[in-house]
Amino acid sequence: MLISQLLALAGLVAGLFGIYLRYTETKHRVLPTDQSLIKGNISHGITYAFTKGMMPWAKESTRIHMLAYLRGIGFHVGIFTAIGIVIINPFWEYLPPIIFLILFWILGIAAVLGAAGGIMRIVEHNLRGLSLPDDHFAVWLTTLFITVAGLAVINDSFVIPMYIVSAITFIYIPLGKIRHCLYFFFARIFFGKFFGRRAIFPHPQAVK
Amino acid sequence: MNETIELALKALEAQLNQPLETALEACARCGICAEACHYYRAEPKVEHIPAYRAEQLRSVYRHEHDFLSKLFPIWTRSKKLDEPTLANLTEIAFSQCTLCRRCTINCPLGVDTPLMMRAIRTMASAAGTAPEILVMLADAAIEKGRDPSFYKEMFLEQIREMEHQLRDITGDETATIPVEKQGAKILYVPLAGAHTILPPAVVFNAAKADWTLSIFESANYGVFLADMKRAKEVARRIVDEANRLGVQEIVIAECGHAYASYRWDVPNWFAGEFDFKVRSLIEVLAEYIQEGKINVDPTAIPESVTYHDSCNLARNGGLIEEPRYVLGKITTDFREMTPNKAEAICCGGGGGLVALAEYAERRITAGKPKAEQIKKTGARIVVAACENCRLQIGDLNERYNLNVRITALTDLVVRAMRLPQPLPGTEAEHLFEDEKAVVTK
Repeated sequence: MLISQLLALAGLVAGLFGIYLRYTETKHRVLPTDQSLIKGNISHGITYAFTKGMMPWAKESTRIHMLAYLRGIGFHVGIFTAIGIVIINPFWEYLPPIIFLILFWILGIAAVLGAAGGIMRIVEHNLRGLSLPDDHFAVWLTTLFITVAGLAVINDSFVIPMYIVSAITFIYIPLGKIRHCLYFFFARIFFGKFFGRRAIFPHPQAVK
Repeated sequence: MNETIELALKALEAQLNQPLETALEACARCGICAEACHYYRAEPKVEHIPAYRAEQLRSVYRHEHDFLSKLFPIWTRSKKLDEPTLANLTEIAFSQCTLCRRCTINCPLGVDTPLMMRAIRTMASAAGTAPEILVMLADAAIEKGRDPSFYKEMFLEQIREMEHQLRDITGDETATIPVEKQGAKILYVPLAGAHTILPPAVVFNAAKADWTLSIFESANYGVFLADMKRAKEVARRIVDEANRLGVQEIVIAECGHAYASYRWDVPNWFAGEFDFKVRSLIEVLAEYIQEGKINVDPTAIPESVTYHDSCNLARNGGLIEEPRYVLGKITTDFREMTPNKAEAICCGGGGGLVALAEYAERRITAGKPKAEQIKKTGARIVVAACENCRLQIGDLNERYNLNVRITALTDLVVRAMRLPQPLPGTEAEHLFEDEKAVVTK
């Protein structure tokens, strides 16, 4: 048990360090300054990008692919829940049993959604054409991670596998496509800055 | 590594800033962006998904910058840039993307795919593989800026002739088209051709504006090439002219890329030298109507009218309500396309595509979703406040039998001003037979 815990901890540290390296590398790159006369509001744009702009009805694409988008959201909720569960494992004994049952269902549903995503990457023509081996591996790895975390909350015999899979997942985060979790924040901030500055999102009535 | 490849890679490295690296790293390849692209809508295939196009650059970027890709290239399909790859990238960036940013607003992460397409264009320009015609047009504009005296006399002569037309149209013997007027408040920068000079001149004279006409045109082919050096050289002509004349603001003709670049990019290229406001002619029209500086007849345009949002004006420029305000004041049957405003579908003519004859068929095919949108409105007049959009919609009109007239916003405003004579060559003189009766009532 202790070895697997240490393994997971080492994986977490390595993953965080890798993400930190990625972060510093990107932050060291030039950030262009914009000297054009501002029309809208940058902070409103960034707020929009992380809130209303993420709603499933906010974009034509997510309106068309509502189920796929919600599947993705559910899958990501599962990933973050699983990470949280692994980190707080030493304190599990203090949690009431109902929490475990809720977590089991959240992770169970997320695992099914993850597997659905993995299968879609194989069977759906467009997704298959877009997917790299890295994408297939990442979706199945995280699905496995969620699955063992979900099983671990109801069955102690899955705790060691959870730690081992966690270690692999954490290490892989900065190496493969999962690192988009870091660039998501950069991308949404740049989106908010660009469209907020130009009064496009959120869109005010320019002429009364 | 040969010189071409070296130059292209050098150009990629030079551009790698935070937004570009983010765009290269953030994509989850979920494919949700597919229908956002008019190329995909017109021809649904994997190669037309924005994420797929971007992947072609990412594979090169990963080869240079990604640890795992260096160890196991097959894992991320990374590849070394070579001549066929560069040719493929160039083809994609110049013929399969109009830089409309519709994929960006539809991406759950907000990945800026056009930024990557621009990066490829810059690489191609640096390596000398960019379309020659764009390079020639940009270089011609730069030459014109270096020695305007060569054509200036002829230009001034044309303007004097236009002034006579202006007086006939307006019935105002004092109407003028001032050129290089020192201390004027507005420097109006047209496009090549009288059609972007005469109608605004009517408006400026009616509003009694303190304006002067630029001797240069606002189009900037360096922007399409994403060649910063050339784009800056082309823009410098106007920045220098504005500084020389001491104007307070630059007003750009109805042109999408010119507005977006002068409004949002050029101030960054000329930090410290750029001390004036930039507006589109559309904003000026809205202001003049709002403040009562020009009088328009609200019933002047009885035909059904729809408005095409140029991507550079609306989604990239922020000019969304202004044209609708103007149209609301001069039309009685205005019909929105769906989707519209920031979500509007690109017509397919942007990004310099209209100038590239070799890609004409591809461009017109990709314009099909826009043609269908126009058809659905049932409108007889399509207003487009961008010259490239008008040219493209003109082609779509023929190919898809839309049976519409395409006009600039200013032309329609001038028609609504009920002047003694119509503008030459505008739709007022070329109405559909069934509309003549309605209009002349």
